Amino acid sequence: GACRVSMSMAEIRAGFTAIKANIQSRDPIRTLSVLSHPHSLHKVKSSDRCCITHHLFTFYVDRVFKHCKTEDSFVNRKISSIANSFLSIRRKLGQCREQNNCVCGEESTEKFKQILANYEGLNVTSAAMKSLGELDILLDWMEKSH
Amino acid sequence: TDAFLPAPQNISILSTNMKHFLTWSPVIIPGATVRYSVEFQGEYEREYANESWLPISECSLSTATVCNLTEDISASVPYRLRVRALLGAASSPWGTLTGFFNRVTTSLTPPVLKVVADGHHLLVELADMGPAFQFHVLYWKKGQESRVKQKVVREVSSVVHLDTMEAGAEYCVRAQAHVEAINRSSSFSPTLCVRAQGDISLWL
Repeated sequence: GACRVSMSMAEIRAGFTAIKANIQSRDPIRTLSVLSHPHSLHKVKSSDRCCITHHLFTFYVDRVFKHCKTEDSFVNRKISSIANSFLSIRRKLGQCREQNNCVCGEESTEKFKQILANYEGLNVTSAAMKSLGELDILLDWMEKSH
Repeated sequence: TDAFLPAPQNISILSTNMKHFLTWSPVIIPGATVRYSVEFQGEYEREYANESWLPISECSLSTATVCNLTEDISASVPYRLRVRALLGAASSPWGTLTGFFNRVTTSLTPPVLKVVADGHHLLVELADMGPAFQFHVLYWKKGQESRVKQKVVREVSSVVHLDTMEAGAEYCVRAQAHVEAINRSSSFSPTLCVRAQGDISLWL
Protein backbone atom coordinates (compact mmCIF):
# COMPACT_ATOMS: atom_id res chain seq x y z
CA GLY A 1 0.00 0.00 0.00
CA ALA A 2 1.07 3.63 -0.33
CA CYS A 3 2.52 5.59 2.56
CA ARG A 4 2.83 9.32 2.43
CA VAL A 5 5.33 10.10 5.19
CA SER A 6 7.05 13.48 5.37
CA MET A 7 10.73 12.99 5.97
CA SER A 8 13.71 15.29 5.62
CA MET A 9 15.79 13.18 3.29
CA ALA A 10 18.07 16.14 2.61
CA GLU A 11 19.15 16.29 6.26
CA ILE A 12 19.78 12.54 6.43
CA ARG A 13 21.73 12.60 3.19
CA ALA A 14 23.78 15.61 4.34
CA GLY A 15 24.59 13.84 7.60
CA PHE A 16 25.59 10.66 5.76
CA THR A 17 27.62 12.45 3.11
CA ALA A 18 29.65 14.11 5.88
CA ILE A 19 30.83 10.71 7.19
CA LYS A 20 30.46 8.40 4.16
CA ALA A 21 34.18 8.20 3.33
CA ASN A 22 35.08 7.59 6.97
CA ILE A 23 32.50 4.84 7.38
CA GLN A 24 33.24 3.14 4.08
CA SER A 25 36.96 3.14 4.91
CA ARG A 26 36.10 0.94 7.88
CA ASP A 27 34.52 -1.69 5.62
CA PRO A 28 37.34 -3.90 4.30
CA ILE A 29 35.10 -6.35 2.44
CA ARG A 30 34.17 -4.40 -0.67
CA THR A 31 33.05 -7.40 -2.69
CA LEU A 32 29.96 -8.06 -0.58
CA SER A 33 26.77 -6.04 -0.20
CA VAL A 34 24.13 -6.26 2.51
CA LEU A 35 21.38 -4.38 0.69
CA SER A 36 22.04 -5.22 -2.95
CA HIS A 37 23.00 -8.89 -2.95
CA PRO A 38 21.84 -10.80 -4.94
CA HIS A 39 19.07 -8.45 -6.08
CA SER A 40 18.82 -4.69 -5.97
CA LEU A 41 16.14 -2.94 -3.94
CA HIS A 42 14.89 -1.52 -7.20
CA LYS A 43 13.20 -4.82 -7.97
CA VAL A 44 10.76 -4.38 -5.07
CA LYS A 45 7.18 -3.96 -6.27
CA SER A 46 5.62 -0.56 -5.58
CA SER A 47 2.85 -2.14 -3.52
CA ASP A 48 5.46 -3.53 -1.15
CA ARG A 49 7.54 -0.38 -0.74
CA CYS A 50 5.86 0.90 2.38
CA CYS A 51 6.24 -2.41 4.15
CA ILE A 52 9.83 -3.10 3.21
CA THR A 53 10.84 0.50 3.95
CA HIS A 54 9.44 0.06 7.44
CA HIS A 55 11.33 -3.23 7.80
CA LEU A 56 14.57 -1.59 6.63
CA PHE A 57 14.22 1.37 9.00
CA THR A 58 13.55 -1.06 11.86
CA PHE A 59 16.61 -3.05 10.81
CA TYR A 60 18.82 0.04 10.92
CA VAL A 61 17.39 1.29 14.22
CA ASP A 62 17.37 -2.05 15.99
CA ARG A 63 20.49 -3.68 14.62
CA VAL A 64 22.84 -1.35 12.75
CA PHE A 65 23.41 2.01 14.43
CA LYS A 66 24.18 0.59 17.87
CA HIS A 67 27.19 -1.27 16.51
CA CYS A 68 28.64 1.75 14.71
CA LYS A 69 30.19 3.64 17.59
CA THR A 70 33.62 5.01 16.61
CA GLU A 71 36.47 6.82 18.31
CA ASP A 72 35.61 9.92 16.30
CA SER A 73 33.24 12.33 18.07
CA PHE A 74 32.19 14.05 14.85
CA VAL A 75 31.28 10.72 13.21
CA ASN A 76 29.38 9.62 16.32
CA ARG A 77 27.36 12.86 16.31
CA LYS A 78 26.40 12.42 12.67
CA ILE A 79 25.41 8.79 13.28
CA SER A 80 23.29 10.01 16.18
CA SER A 81 21.43 12.52 14.01
CA ILE A 82 20.81 9.86 11.33
CA ALA A 83 19.69 7.33 13.94
CA ASN A 84 17.30 9.81 15.58
CA SER A 85 15.89 10.75 12.17
CA PHE A 86 15.39 7.05 11.35
CA LEU A 87 13.65 6.54 14.67
CA SER A 88 11.27 9.44 13.97
CA ILE A 89 10.53 8.22 10.43
CA ARG A 90 10.17 4.58 11.50
CA ARG A 91 7.44 5.64 13.90
CA LYS A 92 5.52 7.41 11.13
CA LEU A 93 5.97 4.43 8.80
CA GLY A 94 4.65 2.14 11.52
CA GLN A 95 1.57 4.28 12.00
CA CYS A 96 1.06 4.36 8.24
CA ARG A 97 1.39 0.60 7.94
CA GLU A 98 -1.28 0.08 10.56
CA GLN A 99 -3.69 2.55 8.98
CA ASN A 100 -3.18 1.29 5.44
CA ASN A 101 -2.66 -2.34 6.43
CA CYS A 102 0.49 -2.49 4.31
CA VAL A 103 1.65 -6.07 4.13
CA CYS A 104 4.82 -7.36 2.56
CA GLY A 105 4.36 -9.60 -0.45
CA GLU A 106 6.24 -12.87 -0.76
CA GLU A 107 8.94 -11.43 -2.99
CA SER A 108 9.85 -8.54 -0.74
CA THR A 109 9.66 -10.72 2.37
CA GLU A 110 12.21 -12.91 0.66
CA LYS A 111 14.27 -9.85 -0.23
CA PHE A 112 14.31 -8.67 3.38
CA LYS A 113 15.24 -12.18 4.61
CA GLN A 114 18.17 -12.07 2.17
CA ILE A 115 19.31 -8.74 3.61
CA LEU A 116 19.25 -10.21 7.13
CA ALA A 117 21.14 -13.28 5.90
CA ASN A 118 23.79 -11.06 4.30
CA TYR A 119 24.04 -9.13 7.55
CA GLU A 120 24.29 -12.19 9.76
CA GLY A 121 26.93 -13.69 7.47
CA LEU A 122 29.46 -11.18 8.79
CA ASN A 123 30.68 -10.36 12.26
CA VAL A 124 28.39 -7.80 13.77
CA THR A 125 30.67 -4.76 13.67
CA SER A 126 31.68 -5.36 10.05
CA ALA A 127 28.07 -6.01 9.12
CA ALA A 128 26.90 -2.83 10.86
CA MET A 129 29.61 -0.65 9.31
CA LYS A 130 28.92 -2.12 5.87
CA SER A 131 25.19 -1.52 6.24
CA LEU A 132 25.79 2.04 7.38
CA GLY A 133 28.17 2.57 4.48
CA GLU A 134 25.42 1.44 2.11
CA LEU A 135 22.92 4.01 3.41
CA ASP A 136 23.05 5.93 0.13
CA ILE A 137 21.80 2.80 -1.66
CA LEU A 138 18.72 2.92 0.58
CA LEU A 139 18.32 6.70 0.25
CA ASP A 140 18.68 6.55 -3.56
CA TRP A 141 16.09 3.78 -3.78
CA MET A 142 13.69 5.69 -1.53
CA GLU A 143 14.01 8.91 -3.51
CA LYS A 144 13.71 7.16 -6.84
CA SER A 145 10.72 5.11 -5.83
CA HIS A 146 8.76 7.72 -3.92
CA THR B 1 36.34 19.67 44.92
CA ASP B 2 33.04 19.16 43.07
CA ALA B 3 31.19 21.02 45.86
CA PHE B 4 33.65 23.82 45.12
CA LEU B 5 32.32 24.04 41.59
CA PRO B 6 28.50 24.35 41.39
CA ALA B 7 26.56 23.11 38.40
CA PRO B 8 25.50 25.78 35.87
CA GLN B 9 22.01 27.21 36.51
CA ASN B 10 19.23 28.80 34.44
CA ILE B 11 19.80 26.37 31.57
CA SER B 12 17.47 27.11 28.68
CA ILE B 13 17.03 26.73 24.95
CA LEU B 14 16.63 29.57 22.48
CA SER B 15 15.22 28.16 19.25
CA THR B 16 14.22 30.41 16.40
CA ASN B 17 13.86 29.53 12.72
CA MET B 18 15.38 26.08 13.18
CA LYS B 19 18.52 27.41 14.89
CA HIS B 20 18.86 26.07 18.40
CA PHE B 21 21.06 27.46 21.18
CA LEU B 22 21.60 26.25 24.73
CA THR B 23 22.32 29.03 27.23
CA TRP B 24 23.07 29.09 30.96
CA SER B 25 24.20 31.45 33.68
CA PRO B 26 27.96 31.72 34.21
CA VAL B 27 29.53 29.98 37.19
CA ILE B 28 31.46 32.75 38.93
CA ILE B 29 34.71 31.82 40.74
CA PRO B 30 36.61 35.00 41.60
CA GLY B 31 39.98 35.17 39.91
CA ALA B 32 39.41 31.99 37.92
CA THR B 33 38.45 31.21 34.32
CA VAL B 34 35.64 28.72 34.31
CA ARG B 35 35.04 26.64 31.20
CA TYR B 36 32.13 24.45 30.21
CA SER B 37 31.25 21.30 28.29
CA VAL B 38 27.93 20.40 26.75
CA GLU B 39 26.39 17.04 25.87
CA PHE B 40 23.18 15.94 24.15
CA GLN B 41 21.09 12.76 24.14
CA GLY B 42 18.47 11.95 21.53
CA GLU B 43 15.58 9.57 21.81
CA TYR B 44 17.65 6.97 19.98
CA GLU B 45 20.36 7.13 22.64
CA ARG B 46 17.78 6.75 25.40
CA GLU B 47 16.03 3.78 23.85
CA TYR B 48 18.82 1.97 21.98
CA ALA B 49 22.21 3.12 23.28
CA ASN B 50 22.04 2.73 27.04
CA GLU B 51 21.00 6.36 27.60
CA SER B 52 24.41 7.49 26.39
CA TRP B 53 25.33 11.15 25.94
CA LEU B 54 27.36 12.70 23.15
CA PRO B 55 29.72 15.63 23.68
CA ILE B 56 29.55 18.67 21.44
CA SER B 57 33.19 19.34 20.75
CA GLU B 58 32.66 22.93 19.60
CA CYS B 59 31.34 23.76 23.07
CA SER B 60 33.87 21.76 25.05
CA LEU B 61 36.40 23.65 27.21
CA SER B 62 34.75 26.87 26.09
CA THR B 63 34.28 29.90 28.32
CA ALA B 64 31.12 30.91 26.44
CA THR B 65 27.78 30.38 28.17
CA VAL B 66 25.99 29.57 24.92
CA CYS B 67 26.26 26.55 22.63
CA ASN B 68 24.96 26.15 19.07
CA LEU B 69 23.11 22.82 18.89
CA THR B 70 21.73 23.23 15.39
CA GLU B 71 23.95 20.68 13.67
CA ASP B 72 23.27 18.02 16.28
CA ILE B 73 19.54 18.54 16.78
CA SER B 74 18.67 17.42 13.26
CA ALA B 75 15.79 15.06 13.94
CA SER B 76 12.28 15.75 15.13
CA VAL B 77 12.56 13.74 18.35
CA PRO B 78 12.84 14.82 22.01
CA TYR B 79 16.40 15.61 23.09
CA ARG B 80 17.92 16.04 26.56
CA LEU B 81 20.76 18.51 27.08
CA ARG B 82 23.24 19.07 29.87
CA VAL B 83 26.21 21.33 30.69
CA ARG B 84 28.83 21.32 33.39
CA ALA B 85 31.55 23.70 34.58
CA LEU B 86 35.23 22.88 34.44
CA LEU B 87 38.09 24.51 36.35
CA GLY B 88 41.45 22.86 35.96
CA ALA B 89 40.95 19.22 36.90
CA ALA B 90 37.73 19.95 38.76
CA SER B 91 34.34 19.54 37.16
CA SER B 92 30.93 20.43 38.50
CA PRO B 93 27.91 18.16 38.58
CA TRP B 94 25.90 18.22 35.35
CA GLY B 95 23.23 20.84 35.03
CA THR B 96 20.47 19.34 32.88
CA LEU B 97 17.84 21.24 30.88
CA THR B 98 14.47 20.71 32.50
CA GLY B 99 12.40 18.42 30.33
CA PHE B 100 13.10 17.73 26.68
CA PHE B 101 13.63 19.83 23.60
CA ASN B 102 12.08 18.90 20.26
CA ARG B 103 12.83 21.11 17.27
CA VAL B 104 9.18 21.01 16.22
CA THR B 105 8.70 23.74 18.86
CA THR B 106 11.10 26.18 17.24
CA SER B 107 9.56 29.63 16.79
CA LEU B 108 9.16 30.72 13.18
CA THR B 109 9.26 34.37 12.22
CA PRO B 110 7.65 35.76 9.08
CA PRO B 111 10.00 36.15 6.12
CA VAL B 112 11.61 39.47 5.24
CA LEU B 113 10.83 40.40 1.67
CA LYS B 114 11.31 43.20 -0.81
CA VAL B 115 8.81 43.74 -3.61
CA VAL B 116 9.93 45.48 -6.79
CA ALA B 117 8.01 46.74 -9.82
CA ASP B 118 10.49 46.45 -12.65
CA GLY B 119 8.55 48.04 -15.50
CA HIS B 120 5.59 45.68 -15.89
CA HIS B 121 7.26 42.87 -13.93
CA LEU B 122 6.32 42.10 -10.33
CA LEU B 123 9.42 40.78 -8.57
CA VAL B 124 10.02 39.63 -4.98
CA GLU B 125 13.26 39.16 -3.12
CA LEU B 126 13.26 36.95 0.02
CA ALA B 127 15.88 36.96 2.76
CA ASP B 128 17.49 33.56 3.18
CA MET B 129 16.35 31.73 6.33
CA GLY B 130 18.36 28.55 5.91
CA PRO B 131 18.25 25.25 4.00
CA ALA B 132 15.20 23.94 5.84
CA PHE B 133 12.97 26.77 4.58
CA GLN B 134 10.66 27.29 1.64
CA PHE B 135 8.22 30.19 1.13
CA HIS B 136 4.57 30.49 0.20
CA VAL B 137 4.21 33.82 -1.61
CA LEU B 138 0.71 35.24 -2.18
CA TYR B 139 0.15 38.08 -4.68
CA TRP B 140 -2.85 39.82 -6.17
CA LYS B 141 -3.94 42.90 -8.05
CA LYS B 142 -5.22 45.49 -5.61
CA GLY B 143 -9.01 45.47 -5.65
CA GLN B 144 -9.10 41.85 -6.76
CA GLU B 145 -8.49 40.30 -3.36
CA SER B 146 -10.61 37.33 -4.32
CA ARG B 147 -8.17 36.34 -7.07
CA VAL B 148 -5.06 35.74 -5.02
CA LYS B 149 -2.32 33.73 -6.70
CA GLN B 150 0.32 31.64 -4.89
CA LYS B 151 3.88 30.67 -5.68
CA VAL B 152 6.05 28.25 -3.66
CA VAL B 153 9.67 29.38 -3.56
CA ARG B 154 12.23 26.74 -2.52
CA GLU B 155 15.45 28.52 -3.45
CA VAL B 156 16.00 32.11 -2.42
CA SER B 157 19.24 32.55 -4.31
CA SER B 158 17.75 35.07 -6.72
CA VAL B 159 14.92 37.48 -7.33
CA VAL B 160 11.64 35.71 -8.11
CA HIS B 161 9.39 36.83 -10.95
CA LEU B 162 5.79 36.67 -9.79
CA ASP B 163 3.70 38.22 -12.52
CA THR B 164 3.45 40.57 -15.45
CA MET B 165 1.43 43.56 -14.29
CA GLU B 166 -1.13 45.68 -16.09
CA ALA B 167 0.14 49.17 -16.78
CA GLY B 168 -0.40 51.54 -13.85
CA ALA B 169 -2.09 48.92 -11.68
CA GLU B 170 -1.12 48.29 -8.07
CA TYR B 171 -0.15 44.82 -6.92
CA CYS B 172 0.27 43.47 -3.40
CA VAL B 173 2.39 40.65 -1.99
CA ARG B 174 2.77 38.83 1.31
CA ALA B 175 4.58 35.61 2.25
CA GLN B 176 5.03 33.00 4.96
CA ALA B 177 7.94 30.67 5.69
CA HIS B 178 7.36 26.90 5.74
CA VAL B 179 9.58 24.15 7.17
CA GLU B 180 8.81 20.78 5.59
CA ALA B 181 10.89 18.85 8.15
CA ILE B 182 8.58 19.88 10.98
CA ASN B 183 5.53 20.60 8.79
CA ARG B 184 4.95 24.07 10.23
CA SER B 185 4.64 27.60 8.83
CA SER B 186 5.34 31.08 10.15
CA SER B 187 2.72 33.80 10.27
CA PHE B 188 2.45 35.99 7.18
CA SER B 189 4.68 38.95 6.55
CA PRO B 190 3.11 42.41 6.30
CA THR B 191 1.57 43.06 2.88
CA LEU B 192 3.68 45.15 0.53
CA CYS B 193 2.23 46.84 -2.57
CA VAL B 194 3.86 48.41 -5.64
CA ARG B 195 2.51 50.15 -8.71
CA ALA B 196 3.36 49.09 -12.22
CA GLN B 197 4.79 51.62 -14.57
CA GLY B 198 2.09 53.45 -16.49
CA ASP B 199 1.90 53.28 -20.31
CA ILE B 200 4.19 55.72 -22.08
CA SER B 201 2.19 57.74 -24.57
CA LEU B 202 4.13 58.67 -27.64
CA TRP B 203 3.48 61.90 -29.39
CA LEU B 204 3.85 61.30 -33.09
